[in-house]
Amino acid sequence: MNSDGSLIRLEGIHKWFGDNHVLRGIDLSITPGGVVVVIGPSGSGKSTLLRTINMLEEPTEGKVFFDGAEITDIRTDLDEVRTHMGMVFQQFNLFPHLTVMGNITLALLKVLKLTKEQAEERAREELNHVGLAEKDFAYPSQLSGGQQQRVAIARALAMRPKAMLFDEVTSALDPELVGEVLQVMRRLASEGMTMAVVTHEMGFAREVGTRLIFMDHGTIVEDGDPRQIFADPQQERTKAFLRQVL
Amino acid sequence: MTTADATAAATTPPQRGWRYHLRHQTRWSRGHLLAGVAVNLFFFAGTIAVLSSYGWSRVCPPDATRIECSPSDPLALGLQSADLRLVLQISIVLGAMVALAGVFTYRRMPTRSAREAVINAAVLATQPVFLAALLLWFQGTDVDRFARNFLNLSLIGRKAGVAWDDFMAELPTILGTSLVWGTVAAGLTAAYVYWRKLGRRPIVIAAIAGLAGGFIWGVVQIAKAPSFIKGMQNTLVLSGAGAALGFGLGLVLALFTMSKRAVVRTPARIYINFFRGTPLIWQISFAGIGLVPALRLGLDMYTIAILVLGLNLAAYSAEVYRAGIQSLERGQIEAARTVGLTYFQSMRYVVVPQAIRRVIPPLLNEFVILIKDTALVSVLGLTVAEKELLGIGRDIYQSTFDATAWLGSALGYLIITIPMIRIVTIVERRMRSGLTSVIG
Ligand SMILES: Nc1ncnc2c1ncn2[C@@H]1O[C@H](COP(=O)(O)OP(=O)(O)O)[C@@H](O)[C@H]1O
Ligand SMILES: [Mg+2]
Repeated sequence: MNSDGSLIRLEGIHKWFGDNHVLRGIDLSITPGGVVVVIGPSGSGKSTLLRTINMLEEPTEGKVFFDGAEITDIRTDLDEVRTHMGMVFQQFNLFPHLTVMGNITLALLKVLKLTKEQAEERAREELNHVGLAEKDFAYPSQLSGGQQQRVAIARALAMRPKAMLFDEVTSALDPELVGEVLQVMRRLASEGMTMAVVTHEMGFAREVGTRLIFMDHGTIVEDGDPRQIFADPQQERTKAFLRQVL
Repeated sequence: MTTADATAAATTPPQRGWRYHLRHQTRWSRGHLLAGVAVNLFFFAGTIAVLSSYGWSRVCPPDATRIECSPSDPLALGLQSADLRLVLQISIVLGAMVALAGVFTYRRMPTRSAREAVINAAVLATQPVFLAALLLWFQGTDVDRFARNFLNLSLIGRKAGVAWDDFMAELPTILGTSLVWGTVAAGLTAAYVYWRKLGRRPIVIAAIAGLAGGFIWGVVQIAKAPSFIKGMQNTLVLSGAGAALGFGLGLVLALFTMSKRAVVRTPARIYINFFRGTPLIWQISFAGIGLVPALRLGLDMYTIAILVLGLNLAAYSAEVYRAGIQSLERGQIEAARTVGLTYFQSMRYVVVPQAIRRVIPPLLNEFVILIKDTALVSVLGLTVAEKELLGIGRDIYQSTFDATAWLGSALGYLIITIPMIRIVTIVERRMRSGLTSVIG
């Protein structure tokens, strides 16, 4: 935990891609067990924000703290930090040349140095967790999109992370497959996982989120309780956005 | 009750074999097809008949020289005869008529099968036109001299390096070697396959490769230099050693060119641009005739040849590797990094295993090109035992003044490259048929 009791804290984050000012001064703290949902128009910097949390993108300015340490410090072992933060992507990004089992156990074997038996046992546990116990030796291409995404979640969870980052994980799915993935995330939230979730699923944001953030043009425009914001947005931009998506 | 109606029973696809096509012809399309075949028959049968009437070859008296056996090779006489000219001219006229008729009528055919028949017949009919025109052209030239200079195929046999009698005498030893190699290769592969729990197919492939390798090894052992077989051996050694160096160094170079640091990237790019930007024959000459002797590096020519071929291949294969790695989605390495794998672990366990599958066909292509490029080391003045196929061909030509020697070299290259090209095609086909089947 950080000194202020948060698990993740961003301080004055700016990010430029060339001349493109994508994040324009973001301050954000996420407390343990919190489910922060990030919404906003496409291109507003939601993915970039999420990716600075685990330093897939290095912020041009500002600091990121995770679990008591400043991970923007150049001396941080980022590979070690990332073992405590799971991330799930819109495009699943499963390793196509490995089975489901291989996908999940790779980091357990090579990073956590578990034995093969330990790794496979843990993988089975996580597969059970996401409801795919019988798929352990399938290849990703043999699974539906929803199943692939649940494997990706299991792969992240197998590392026993302290926080999970979800970047539009249902956007690439056929509508009838969205539910099964949201179901898994809902359960994860109820188990007390700290989560940052970028999504277009407003129903999920309202029910599961403990906090809602509306981003536009690289800034946090509105930040508060999801139900309150949906019922009564304070900012004009939020109102306009919600009118479009709801 | 309605659902049962809605889902019709599955049926087999309609059979569209040759019977089907035969039933859907018109009188014109059928006749046209027959005409196309007939023109071909007329051309080939007519040509063969005329040539046979003159005779295909003449047996020289055992002690006669090539000059004495000339000038009138019967094959040459046949090729230059007026009879053949008539056959050729008729073939051209008939073939052109059938082809043109097809061009003007195929659109009017009522069925797809009929249209296909007319198109095929028209294309088929152009074949005797071109071949006959070629032979007509040859009629006006000195066919006789060509045949004596280039088609003295017995030279290739004499210079192969292994006489038939020696071969038969050594056959038991050769087959023994072959068997040992095949068994060892199959055994080692079987152990590996058992360990990795893979299928049985690699064992069969290893066994065949071992048998072939042992056989070739055995033959090469009894071959004398200078000969085409020795030339093939050297071509294979040069390209094999060059490939080992080039494919290894190429992967390192490729990783360097993708570094985010300019100090790592730039030297690799300069290296690649230099080797891709200058002719290989210049590189070989510069190293072998300039650099190494001038600096007294003490490398022999054979080593220089391998080094330059390998360094050159490294530049080309680096580009292949880079394209293969960059064709992977960025998400792959990001996913690997987010579960805590280091950069090198991500490369080793996620990126390279996927990229390798994509780069194998283009790398094999580079290897075929390398095999042919070994011909360029003939500028280096290798010793007789070190000469590769082109050098051997030139040597034999200069000592016998028989240009058939060049044909021997070509034959040697083809024996090596055609199986390689086949392998490339097969591998490419397997790659295309879906990732999982290749992986599984
Ligand atoms: N790797 C990158 N290089 C350059 N520009 C980028 C990169 N990633 C994102 N951007 C730009 O940053 C802006 C915000 O992108 P992103 O964070 O993906 O938005 P969102 O996820 O809200 O749709 C976009 O204008 C996008 O073009
Ligand atoms: Mg995004």
